[in-house]
Amino acid sequence: MLGIVAGLWVATEKMDYTWRWNRIPQYFLYHDENVKTVPTDGHITKIEKNGGTTTVTVRDQNEGISTFDIDTDTANVSIDEFLMEGDSVGSTREWRAGPLAVGLWVTLWISAVASVLGLIIGVITGLCRVSQNLTLRQLSITYIEIIRGTPLLVQLFIFYFFIGTVFNIGRIPCGIGALGIFAGAYVAEIIRAGIQSISKGQMEAARSLGMNVPQAMVYIILPQAFKRTLPPLAGQFISLIKDSSLVSVIAITDLTKSGREVITSTFAVFEIWFIVAFLYLILTFSLSQVVAWIERRLAVSD
Amino acid sequence: MIKTVDLEKIFVVRDQEVRAVDGITTHIKSGEVVVVIGPSGSGKSTYLRCLNGLETLTAGHVHIDGIDLANRKTDMNKVRREVGMVFQQFNLFPHKTVLENLVLAQMKVRKRSRKEAEIKGRALLVKVGIPEKESNYPSQLSGGQQQRVAIARALAMDPKVMLFDEPTSALDPEMVGEVLEVMKQLAREGMTMVVVTHEMGFAREVADRVLFMDYGKLVEEGTPEHFFTEPKEERAKLFLRQVL
Repeated sequence: MLGIVAGLWVATEKMDYTWRWNRIPQYFLYHDENVKTVPTDGHITKIEKNGGTTTVTVRDQNEGISTFDIDTDTANVSIDEFLMEGDSVGSTREWRAGPLAVGLWVTLWISAVASVLGLIIGVITGLCRVSQNLTLRQLSITYIEIIRGTPLLVQLFIFYFFIGTVFNIGRIPCGIGALGIFAGAYVAEIIRAGIQSISKGQMEAARSLGMNVPQAMVYIILPQAFKRTLPPLAGQFISLIKDSSLVSVIAITDLTKSGREVITSTFAVFEIWFIVAFLYLILTFSLSQVVAWIERRLAVSD
Repeated sequence: MIKTVDLEKIFVVRDQEVRAVDGITTHIKSGEVVVVIGPSGSGKSTYLRCLNGLETLTAGHVHIDGIDLANRKTDMNKVRREVGMVFQQFNLFPHKTVLENLVLAQMKVRKRSRKEAEIKGRALLVKVGIPEKESNYPSQLSGGQQQRVAIARALAMDPKVMLFDEPTSALDPEMVGEVLEVMKQLAREGMTMVVVTHEMGFAREVADRVLFMDYGKLVEEGTPEHFFTEPKEERAKLFLRQVL
């Protein structure tokens, strides 16, 4: 491992690449400066210092009064000074999230919504898949086969260019919809395997107590199936987070697209892709930790 | 209480018809303890499972309190809440505590409040002799304890009939006694019971009537004294020679 890292280091040294890690943090968080300018010519009539902020009052030729709140250390005017239209009085500064932080957030919430959607679709389809009703069973098999048999990238294009255009849906709902439907097909098969792995005796016991099929499913079968399928479900949702990087092709500014945009302005290609990979890793690792925690909690009945 | 008329259940296994229950007509009266015995594969369990509709009937009728299970309009869930069942493999709900196992169906099916259901559940755990295990999970109990919880779970629904499907067959020998003891107590209290079992001692001691089945047919029925001492049918004699 160390050998590989050392080898890569030597190789990048040889090709004369300048590492600029110091330029990265500003794409997460930056100090935004908002310069306040006077709209018309006028005199400064009053400067009132109030701790960190300063209020500057300007009177123009038509006796109109305007006031500006600025950060004290940026004040660059004095009392009675004459200002021309467009001159600056000072500025306010605030911290803003950079493109990488925004992209990370977009990836996070798109994945979260798509996961919930995928889980709902998956559970419903999984239940149809094991139902006695032939039509429901065939429909769910058709859905699963179509979705599993076509690439997610192509599904995204169809969703965005065809369904999105026909029904006039925005790109973000399209992206979430495509991801959710894609994940749903896999979740359905996982849920079906889980349901079928529960012994028949559980259903019989529930029915012999007078429960109907939905009650038995909700209170007896699904909780056990869910516990048993938690590891593959976690894998599926980790995949979903990673697959969400594909929504950048329909111009959703997720983490991957933000990374590409930052690269176009910094040329820090190596650094940005490493950072993007690391951020995905943080998301997926957190998810596996959460699932491990749930698994430990559910293990009390073992 | 339970009347079966020409009851038939045919399974089709690889294009072969298996007549698991082949024309059984009998009447189980209220308060009666009926023990069903017979060689393995004779259709005893299938017969029992027909009595609460876990198997659909191929032909014939099962009347429980006058309600015909063969009638398509019969609400099975309503019938089943009056018919408790205890399985060979216990089939407790492994993800729920012992008390939850007893409470769940009371709340969801009988629509009792949690408080009411818990009082009932605790009383039944005392009755089957394991009140201290209420917050344990089934996997933490021995087989005998699990089966007693299963009996309590069925009793919690206040059934009119209890069906036992080889309740002691999956138990270690030293635990059989504690389960049979609970069943005997139930019988003394006048519960209507249909028991499929290989415990001849239990049949002799508790049963009001013994049904002997072979190849899906009711070969012989009678009081335990009659059946165990002077059976008429040749097949019953052979069976008794083998098991006693």
